[in-house]
Amino acid sequence: MSTIFPALSVLFAVLATAVRWGLPADATFILPLIVVTMVFCWRIIPDAVLPLSVCMLLGLLTDVMSGGPLGFFALMTLIAGSVGGRLRSLIAPHELRILWLVWVVLAASLGLFGWLLASLYFFRWIDWWPILFGTLASIALFPVVLRGLGWIRQGSIGPAHSAMFRSWS
Amino acid sequence: MRGAASSIYRSPRRSWRRARGELLAFALYFFCAVMLILSRIGHGALDDMRERFVDLTVPVLEAASIPVIEARHLMLRARSYAELFGEIDRLKAENEQLKQWEWSAKLLERKNADLRALLNAVDEPALHFVSGSVIADARGPFLRSALINLGRDSGVRVGYAVINGDGLVGRTVDAGTSVARVLLLNDLNSRIPVLVGPAGVRAMASGDNSAELRLDFLPDGATLYGGDEVYTSGSDGVLPRGLRVGTVTGTQGDFRVRPHAELSSLDVVSVLFFDTPALATTDPLGPPEGPLSAMPASAATATPPQAAPPASSSNPVGTAAKQAGAEEGSAGDDGQTQAQR
Repeated sequence: MSTIFPALSVLFAVLATAVRWGLPADATFILPLIVVTMVFCWRIIPDAVLPLSVCMLLGLLTDVMSGGPLGFFALMTLIAGSVGGRLRSLIAPHELRILWLVWVVLAASLGLFGWLLASLYFFRWIDWWPILFGTLASIALFPVVLRGLGWIRQGSIGPAHSAMFRSWS
Repeated sequence: MRGAASSIYRSPRRSWRRARGELLAFALYFFCAVMLILSRIGHGALDDMRERFVDLTVPVLEAASIPVIEARHLMLRARSYAELFGEIDRLKAENEQLKQWEWSAKLLERKNADLRALLNAVDEPALHFVSGSVIADARGPFLRSALINLGRDSGVRVGYAVINGDGLVGRTVDAGTSVARVLLLNDLNSRIPVLVGPAGVRAMASGDNSAELRLDFLPDGATLYGGDEVYTSGSDGVLPRGLRVGTVTGTQGDFRVRPHAELSSLDVVSVLFFDTPALATTDPLGPPEGPLSAMPASAATATPPQAAPPASSSNPVGTAAKQAGAEEGSAGDDGQTQAQR
């Protein structure tokens, strides 16, 4: 499978972050974190190709669309992509629980890092609640995102994907 | 033997590939760090590139927003149908109240005109505006902004005030050819000099990304009450004086401002053409030709706004005129109206 499908699916999510959903102020971190979650998922899905440079470009695009600090989400997606890439060879793809646990740790770390980085960027303590809320939402949505991306990749990783969710149930 | 030999030959290649990957990853991290620093110091080239890129994505964003906007309108319509009878009763009561207000307003208007005539008062310059729609939400964890489908082609400059039917929404911070970014009142970087209450206590309304604004730099011993009106003071030389911002909430020592405008669900907004010398610092492209606060020629021929404003954000002219307490503007056919301040 080429880079096109993973990159396009994440690009679609990046565009969705800029659409006016009318979300409350506390929920604004959810959609960009879904982009980060997708990057992580694509990097751990076997045979999926999403190079680190593309991960970073998609994060940069999120920054551009959101009008926020350039490089912030680029860094987030880069970290998620790097961790995902390293874990691909360490964790069997059907270990959904372990993957989820890894994402819990990674999302919490990213949330904390993002909060500190944003506070450093603006030279003041940023409101932590939207970041925590977004992190919790991304943790809750992780299996859904993984399943969705697995569905996109159904043709080539069908058995692996099925095994992943069989083990969960 | 052959396998061992091949592994010997393969491993330098593999390690080189790994080293190349590590080097690339390091370069990407370094690039991100550089971008963050440049973004922090506000590098002009980065801003230009971002504006151009956002300009390019406008059609995509508009197309992507259509189904969402339609769905939201449908939901609003369904909700309003459900609450129709209650709404009619409420509107009847409000209409009665407004009739009384109309009578008082006419009386005050006449009195004001008489007093102005007695004083030989000079009329304040007219304030023009152009209306457009919000096409994208850009509300990250540390950003409250919106993209509107009005840009330099419509006469929009950086630093202009943006209002809707309820009051001040924010100000423009980027202006591309056909799109502008509005920094909302509650953004972390938003600072609006305001006057509070009937005494006109000076303060600074600062955003902190929450739904309400902080009131900073209040004078010692200032007495404020919940529900006091907050409006722009115009002392920054960028925003016009007298635009409604919100009402005071909170208690002594922790006063906050609840904006009149519903910042999380903006639809139709208007950009006020208020050109002052101070705009030279906010907009590097310089002032347009013509007198201050004059409607730019480009805006005079601009397309009228497509969407009719919803009930909640009805005629912003009324608001602008109401703030200044002056006579009503003459509505133009193209949706750009001259509001007398």
